Amino acid sequence: MPEFEAVIGIETHIQLNTDSKIFCACSTDSWRAPPNTHICPICTGLPGVLPSLNQQVVEKALILATAMNAEKIDQASFFARKNYFYPDLPKGYQISQYDEPLAVNGSFELPLPEGNSRRISIIKLHIEEDAGKTVYKNGKRLIDFNRCGVPLVEMVTGPDFRSADEVAQYLIRLRQLLRWLEISDADMERGQLRCDANVSIRNVGEHRLNTKTEIKNVNSITNVRDAVKSEIERQMREVGAGGVIEAWTLDWDDERGVLSKMRSKETEADYRYFREPDLLPIEISPGAVAATASQLPELPLARRSRFVEAYDIPEYDAEILTEERSLSDFFEATVAAHGGDPKRVSNWVMNDVLRLIREHDTSAGELGLQPGELAEIIGMVEAGTISSGVGKDLLVQVRDSNRTPAQIVEEEGLAQVSDASELSAVAAQILEANPDQVAAYEGGKMGLIGWFVGQMMQETGGQADPKAAKELLEEMLGS
Amino acid sequence: MAPPEDPVTQTSQSDPPITPDIFQHLVRLAALELDDGEAEYLRGELNQQLQAIRDLESIELPADLPITSHGVPYSSETRPELRQDRAEPSDKADAILEQVPEVEDRFIVAPDIPHTELE
Amino acid sequence: MSAEICELPAHEIVARLRAGDLAAEAVLEATLARIEAVEGDLSTLNGDPNGAKGVHAYISLAEERALAQARAVDRALEAGEDPGLLAGVPVAVKDIFCVSGTPSTAGSKILATFVAPYTATPVARLEAAGALTIGKSNLDEFTYGSSNESSAFLPTPRNPWSASRVPGGSSGGSAAAVAAGEAALSLGTDTSGSIRQPAAFCGIVGMKPTYGRVSRYGLIAFASSLDCPGPMARNVKDTALMLQAMAGADAFDATAAKIPVEDYLDQIEGGVRGLRIGLSPDFSRLRYPDADTGKLREQALQPEIEKALLDSAERLAEQGAEIVEGVDLPNVRYGIPAYFVISRVEAASNLHRYDGVKYGHRSEGEAADLFELYRKSRGQGFGSQPKLRILMGMYVSGEQYEKRYYERALRVRTLIRADFERAFERVDAMLAPTTPTTAFEIGGIYGDSVAMQYADLLTVPANHAGIPAISVPTGLDDSGLPIGMQLMGPDFTERRLLRIGRVLEQPQESRPTLVQELLDA
Repeated sequence: MPEFEAVIGIETHIQLNTDSKIFCACSTDSWRAPPNTHICPICTGLPGVLPSLNQQVVEKALILATAMNAEKIDQASFFARKNYFYPDLPKGYQISQYDEPLAVNGSFELPLPEGNSRRISIIKLHIEEDAGKTVYKNGKRLIDFNRCGVPLVEMVTGPDFRSADEVAQYLIRLRQLLRWLEISDADMERGQLRCDANVSIRNVGEHRLNTKTEIKNVNSITNVRDAVKSEIERQMREVGAGGVIEAWTLDWDDERGVLSKMRSKETEADYRYFREPDLLPIEISPGAVAATASQLPELPLARRSRFVEAYDIPEYDAEILTEERSLSDFFEATVAAHGGDPKRVSNWVMNDVLRLIREHDTSAGELGLQPGELAEIIGMVEAGTISSGVGKDLLVQVRDSNRTPAQIVEEEGLAQVSDASELSAVAAQILEANPDQVAAYEGGKMGLIGWFVGQMMQETGGQADPKAAKELLEEMLGS
Repeated sequence: MAPPEDPVTQTSQSDPPITPDIFQHLVRLAALELDDGEAEYLRGELNQQLQAIRDLESIELPADLPITSHGVPYSSETRPELRQDRAEPSDKADAILEQVPEVEDRFIVAPDIPHTELE
Repeated sequence: MSAEICELPAHEIVARLRAGDLAAEAVLEATLARIEAVEGDLSTLNGDPNGAKGVHAYISLAEERALAQARAVDRALEAGEDPGLLAGVPVAVKDIFCVSGTPSTAGSKILATFVAPYTATPVARLEAAGALTIGKSNLDEFTYGSSNESSAFLPTPRNPWSASRVPGGSSGGSAAAVAAGEAALSLGTDTSGSIRQPAAFCGIVGMKPTYGRVSRYGLIAFASSLDCPGPMARNVKDTALMLQAMAGADAFDATAAKIPVEDYLDQIEGGVRGLRIGLSPDFSRLRYPDADTGKLREQALQPEIEKALLDSAERLAEQGAEIVEGVDLPNVRYGIPAYFVISRVEAASNLHRYDGVKYGHRSEGEAADLFELYRKSRGQGFGSQPKLRILMGMYVSGEQYEKRYYERALRVRTLIRADFERAFERVDAMLAPTTPTTAFEIGGIYGDSVAMQYADLLTVPANHAGIPAISVPTGLDDSGLPIGMQLMGPDFTERRLLRIGRVLEQPQESRPTLVQELLDA
């Protein structure tokens, strides 16, 4: 029995986060909108309409091509018509790019769990329009053109992946990058990042590429992993049993977790590409490419390494802090404002700030909490001005108000009480009201000191400095 | 107006390049249902046209001769600016749906394409 | 013959309206009366090919729309507001343009039920200039033809100069309507001569502007890299006026050039003194299929056309132009073969959208699956001309043939363009006949798709090169049929061509014979 390895190439369709569609002014944001409400004559392909290219589509695609270190960006690229009949394709052709795409020969640095990274080749990037959406019901296809004409970049990798897990890892990192560059929301559930996988197998040690199948229509990273895994296993069973692999196009049904094949007659494709006469070529000057490159933000992997180096925080922290760009910006700004141990800031950000972000389903950039405010809160906790519990509550209060942390502490009287005379009055009351516990303590149940401190905290609404309270109580209980 | 009853038949000595098989392939790509008489007429005309098109083959073209997408070249002075990215809702959605032969709950209806499930 | 209101030049209508001597509503009334008198039956889907005797220029009329427009113009005049460049001028719109709320059929069964929900840019601009949209004029199905005989809407238009002759095509209904006084102007389209050839056949003026001068938005596409909307009128000045109202960049057409629009009227009477005007032997020695053998053969122009060409050159010379003979355009002879390839590839793609799902004709009865629905809807909906273009497009762009034909044709286009660029280093404009013959008999060529295509032999080179060209009437042949001469100029020289055309045009004093006959009846 020979040992097989999988050979997988990935085509992703990335929805650029523009306001309007690629060739018309319809809004791209139609999530949960009633069907066929975000449509116009242009995106429904009525007779006589023409495409009018959205400038932001070019800008955002240029950013991605630059971030992929791709070549030929500054050479004219052409739109082409890809002709085929399909009900979700209103013109009967898709305006795409073909033999003269936006950019070619890029690369994507994929970090692997073992700590090293692999360079995935990006064969080409091109711009195209999305098709409509089809719902199946009672043997009918129900078509919704709301999504039709949303701008996409198709990015094609080389056959560089060897497992379903690597593919999943690539998608996770790609999604992170797209959001980082602020060119796509890359929400797979909403179809903003879609993936087709070309899967073949070969004997380990071979270099040739065997017949591949193409898996389409997968809408989550888990599903991509499951579908690819299932197809690799199928091919290995098939070849192991002496069968051959045919070049099928497969659909993944995520509800039932099965692959299905389209009838081969209907996938017979002769797209008859030719240059789109309704659009002029995209021309990007070398100067514009250079300017874009110089304005690219520091990318996630670079930032992650720098965080480890510069702030002496663990890899684990750096990874979490650089999952999302505004979070990493927030962290850095807080460190700068705080001026103390970055690890303390990291703890606050990873635990408390991230919890708030998740609770409100937002990002660090839009949370409404300023790095300076967090730095101030951490500083007050470190100085003992407030308890760490009050500090955590303060995060919420600061976010909901226009006041600074110091103002809130002042106005709400949240500062810790460590003044002995104030505390001793409260302590006296507690001892008087709980003679049984006092007796038990005096009888040797020293552990009750924690209970007494708890009573103090309760009575003072959490403002008592627990350390000072404990010392005072021990003194008054005469131990 | 219907095509003439007796189409002009091919006069060339050689076999017409668009054979019935090639013709059927084209018809399939074109998604056209034709009756036999119409198919024969159309195939005859296509082969006539190809004779005219073959005139192109006699032209000597320099290897580096570029193609012309539009007769008029476009320069930075003549090409229009790209569209600014501003979403403006269209008021034509309902009028578009009014033209659709079959609609169900605002969806456009088409027959299904059968799939075959893998074992 | 007393000129009726419906026969007034467009610029005259505008002038009288502005002077308060005429109301737009009266112009509309006169035009509708003329239509009533000469149109015969409107053309309908699968209508009687013979029908009542008439011109049959229109597929549909838009009386209510026109009436509202006429009243708006009259109100504006009353209020002392500017009623627009084309105030009160009746316009026939070739039914290849979408006009909101009107049936927009392209002369095809597949769009017979389609009512456009939007308006094409050139139409919107004409209407904004105060024009009255009288109706949608007949055409070859999807503009595919040179005789108007392929329309699914019958009867097909007649040549106003002879009921047995075609009006030309594909803008046949447009040319017939304008010649017959059923509109002062018509908006046509020219992909290989579809404005100029019917203009020549019907004795009117037709202009194909530079590609990109007039927006194509709303023009139901044939060959997108060649299609040009353009004006059709009874005289050059009206042509200029109409172009003025339509030309210019459009946010909805990425190929509409942003070059500023010149004033087409201010120099229109400027004459031709000092202009160099070229004649090319390549527009006289024509290779086209022999009527008997079908083989390509060099043939002479119709003698009266040859003579009209020389007379025209002489007239221009008398007016001070320098005639430059022997300007070689060696590659224009490949115009038709190259056009066969390019236009079919683009047309096949443009016709992909008609599938019975979103609009237009859907096959009757249950379809077993999606692809059967496509095959049936398209098989029933398209006539033989679209089918021929689709199939040839499939053939010449198919993976196995693409290199051999399509790319080659696009390189030949480069050669044709280069011919003109060289010519325009020597001359300011080229003069040539618009057509090799005058209007041919109905049924004379139709069905022979090659011979029909060669009717565009003299007009298609300007489409390949993208340059502007205008056809003007210069007289009648021995059978009393109009002859047209065309002028071609460098990119965006419409103003110059209109000026030369103004000198060259010889409009007929008498009414077209068929129109007179119908009015007398």
